Amino acid sequence: MDLHGYAGKILWVDLSRMEVRERELDRELVKLYLGGTGYAARILWDMLKAGIDPLSPDNLLIAATGPLTGTLCPSSGSIEFCFKSPLTGIFGESRAGGSFGPKLKFAGYDFIAIKGRSEKPVYLHVRDGVAELRDASHLWGKNVHETTDILLRDLAEPDASVACIGQAGENQVRFASIMVDYDRAAGRCGGGTVMGAKRLKAIVVDGHGEISAAKPEEFFEAAMEAINAIKVRANKGLGRHGTLSGLINLNKSGALPTRNFKTCNFEEAEKVSGQTLSEKYLIKKRSCFACPIGCGRYIRVPAGDYQTPPHEGAEYETVDMLGVQSMIGDLEAIIKAGYLCNIYGLDTISAGNVIAFAIEAYERGIITEKDTGGIKLRWGDPEVTLTLIEKIVKREDIGRLLAEGVKRASERLGRGSEEFACHGKGLEIPAHDPRGTSKSLAIQYAVGNPRGACHIEPVWAPLWDFLKVDMGLRRYGLPWPPPSRFEETGVRRGEAYRLLIFFGELAGILGVCRFSLQTVEEENLNLDRLSRLMTTLTGLDLKPQDLLKVSERVYNLKRCFNVREGVDRRSDRLPKRVMEPIASGPTKGVRVENLDGMLDEFYDAMGWDRETGIPRREKLRELGLGDVAEEIWRSRPSK
Amino acid sequence: MVKSLVVIPDRCTGCHLCELACSQRHYGVMSIERSRIHVVRLHHQPVDAPIFCLQCGLCMASCPVNAIERDPKTGAIIVREERCIGCGNCVHTCPYGAASLDPATKKALICDLCGGDPACVKACPVDALKYLDADQAAKYKRVNFSKLQMVVK
Repeated sequence: MDLHGYAGKILWVDLSRMEVRERELDRELVKLYLGGTGYAARILWDMLKAGIDPLSPDNLLIAATGPLTGTLCPSSGSIEFCFKSPLTGIFGESRAGGSFGPKLKFAGYDFIAIKGRSEKPVYLHVRDGVAELRDASHLWGKNVHETTDILLRDLAEPDASVACIGQAGENQVRFASIMVDYDRAAGRCGGGTVMGAKRLKAIVVDGHGEISAAKPEEFFEAAMEAINAIKVRANKGLGRHGTLSGLINLNKSGALPTRNFKTCNFEEAEKVSGQTLSEKYLIKKRSCFACPIGCGRYIRVPAGDYQTPPHEGAEYETVDMLGVQSMIGDLEAIIKAGYLCNIYGLDTISAGNVIAFAIEAYERGIITEKDTGGIKLRWGDPEVTLTLIEKIVKREDIGRLLAEGVKRASERLGRGSEEFACHGKGLEIPAHDPRGTSKSLAIQYAVGNPRGACHIEPVWAPLWDFLKVDMGLRRYGLPWPPPSRFEETGVRRGEAYRLLIFFGELAGILGVCRFSLQTVEEENLNLDRLSRLMTTLTGLDLKPQDLLKVSERVYNLKRCFNVREGVDRRSDRLPKRVMEPIASGPTKGVRVENLDGMLDEFYDAMGWDRETGIPRREKLRELGLGDVAEEIWRSRPSK
Repeated sequence: MVKSLVVIPDRCTGCHLCELACSQRHYGVMSIERSRIHVVRLHHQPVDAPIFCLQCGLCMASCPVNAIERDPKTGAIIVREERCIGCGNCVHTCPYGAASLDPATKKALICDLCGGDPACVKACPVDALKYLDADQAAKYKRVNFSKLQMVVK
């Protein structure tokens, strides 16, 4: 089998021995998992023993591309990082755009897998099939922008891509991000923390090679058709006002989380909207590699207290979590907060969540001025957010506790703070409310597969019943029309979410951005387009149903990874705060009533055991995961 | 009338699809290095700029083996690869950095306008690249050159 579309190699790095070597891709694994987070999940399942400390040398950090990465397929600029998360203790994956993934493939590798721990700070340099570890002592302590500047200047490789950590990763903040090309964040799950623990400051890739297609002309035509379909989005929604474009609609619908998920509306929404951003702070739009949409915002605050240099930022998640959650309506202050997180390498979602938690804990007297180093934590005060970001990164005062993430912080504080610590499996809940948006999101956050409470991996479930967008999935069995978004059981919710998951997983497996999938089928990478692109690129016969089958295999494997780490039905829970009635706004009074009923339906749809929430032995065998089934079920009564 | 390739630089978002389309059309592979158009991003400036051959023909005179000709149909530069010796004179001569050497074949890489149907224009999702009648194109060219007088801050 020729591996068209792939570079064909994995770069293995052992930081303890300061060794690099390369291995061919395993052809059998390519057939079963295709690539990206699928192939990486199999490596992590095979190589990581259950229960290892994510911050120990035993953990693996994998940078994963997919077969479509770096090709003419639109929105294929992805890099996915997979590892065991130091924040959640389960499967960690986090994606960034930019150009790192494509450059890695042009340099000759589909994956980099990094184990061990270096004695002193190092960075990994990869250029056209040659990789080496180099001293990074001069970079340790530098922020993300400084580090990237120095590397690009000293190496004199203007086309290189840099993935690095800032002070947050060095200081082992548990939600440190890996930053790519200055401002593109692989923010979630603490990938930057893992890099810091390994004393790996940066990875530089510079590639000048090529990617071939099995059927070059047909692939060219398929890609042009897909680009033409997607490019209309450059001028509306995401492309026009960035990810922030939906904020006003979310607010009107009572789906905009505020006040640490107590409420779902915001008086000052207009002031922090994508439209305001475009009018006042946008310098230009910037695309990730190969993306027709171009949701990236190259912005700055030109003057005043919150002045920033030009940078890419003001994503929806950042603006809600760092600003709106704490009732801040000053967009300049929020941009500044996001900028600080970017240069320190801090996940804006987790940071915003834990800051709102701290304000509430202060309001309730659970923490006091003695803990905060004298500052009063108040809603709507930008100085609180800016100060707490600094304290978290430096692990000062209350920052030492908050740097552990909201789950650990609430467990240490006690006194009922667990009830408003908003996380799923230790991952801070992002800016989509599981009551106000869609009850499918309640299933998504509670199951939290693979990475805990996440709105977008594998898919933004509310597309189905909140936005009523079918993404081309109706002909593959997506229940239609969708029910009211507030109805819980008896409306085929589990079945629908199952199909949405399998579609969404393809983004991480094939190496495209989720935004390219998540809209109406006239304007997205729907299953038929993905099938045509993959078939002409790789030469493998991959019909839409075959792609869904790979996704199902991958999603179940990731669940089994988490089961091996102790996850089961008992951990598929939501914190009290996001179950109880929303306190105000258009969705006032909406709550999660029957999570267990929804879970039952979802497990049934998935072929998972209702009692334990674990994929059944037969299901795993059917997916070609017989060996995984043996390991999972060995110590349990047979199902 | 012959047509010219022009760019509306403000529209470019730096996605690189033009580069991939170029190499795919000419060589059946996707490669930034084998493209005849190059998108330059200045990280600390608001600049994403596709740099491509303006078909000025300075390179023709520099070629010691007369491997560079002009296509009478499109007006485009054509490199006769069988004659090209990979000396790099044309690369040296090109004032825009629009010419380069193919890392695989070591022959000169210069835009040939795809014989009158440029792949880069097809792939550009934001219509930053246009292939227009020469007199229409000249208007865009004038605007672009006038911008050279602007001091970028």
